[in-house]
Amino acid sequence: MTREKIALSPAMPKCWNPETKPHKFCPGCGHGLALKMLGEAIDELDIQDRVIFGCDIGCSLLSWDFFNVDSVQTHHGRTTPVITGIKRARPELIGIAYMGDGGGYAIGAQHLVNSATRNEKVTAILINNTNYGMTGGQMAPTTLPGQKTETTPYGRDPEETGYPTLGPEMVAAIAKEGAYVARGSIANLRQLKKFLKKAIQNQVDGNGFSFVEVVSSCPTNWRTNAEATWSFVEKDMAEYFHVGEFKVPGQKEEK
Amino acid sequence: MSETAKKVALTQDGKRASFNLFPDLCKGCGLCMQKCPVNIITWSTDLGVYGTPAVCTTDQDKCIACKNCELVCPDAAIRIIVKGKK
Repeated sequence: MTREKIALSPAMPKCWNPETKPHKFCPGCGHGLALKMLGEAIDELDIQDRVIFGCDIGCSLLSWDFFNVDSVQTHHGRTTPVITGIKRARPELIGIAYMGDGGGYAIGAQHLVNSATRNEKVTAILINNTNYGMTGGQMAPTTLPGQKTETTPYGRDPEETGYPTLGPEMVAAIAKEGAYVARGSIANLRQLKKFLKKAIQNQVDGNGFSFVEVVSSCPTNWRTNAEATWSFVEKDMAEYFHVGEFKVPGQKEEK
Repeated sequence: MSETAKKVALTQDGKRASFNLFPDLCKGCGLCMQKCPVNIITWSTDLGVYGTPAVCTTDQDKCIACKNCELVCPDAAIRIIVKGKK
């Protein structure tokens, strides 16, 4: 088969910063897919000039120059309050807090919980890859029972370390009317884009807190090839982390 | 999707669509190979940005232009151009 060389524009979302591509994430990383869907959602809502993108410490901070939008990189776990502060000072902006499971469920859990309780009008996006990727694949709050990581070489024992955090279920339980809570997966990207769009639209409408968890992959630390990566995301993770919308504004509160 | 700065693409022409790969963006993760419904994506002799093999199609005429590979590429290294559409 012949392969000719031509000059062509890549099929990137408009709000991506093309000078920083290829981005810094590992080959096969789910961050790239989640950020591609977020970029398409920003393009379709046409809000590139109003978005403030905040990223956490961990693998997610590699997205600091990912978009052609105003970005801020915050202390570990403090993305939600920083974006909340920006949103309170400049309510016309759209604040997107982007974090990993370590930043959102471990060191930053209090900020996530309190922002949800206060119903802050920000959008939080959390990437769940079941380990701490940047530091070499240690156990995270979301590591599945029996999963081997650097710090659980015999598999995670739920007797000792508890069961994985179910973030959207927790946020949906404490959030007030007007909040939007969902969990998407990189195994279903079109649905994920729909969730991200709804989460941003919820903030644009001024309803309340929006939270989307993304079931993602980490081939480098899972030590998986492409086939095993997809099977872990689509089978093992999907069994524990159920994809769907947990709270949609407009639904009546159960009494 | 708007037009961003142009890059070098390796193009393969087929009956229904052309397969365009950007070697400067492809990291060789192989996610697209698993998601191709007609299993025509394979390792290429061309190298990607990290010196790992990039991907190409074995028989572009079999491509059904579903754009799954374009969708699942985390680096936007694949672009499918469907024939008869602009």
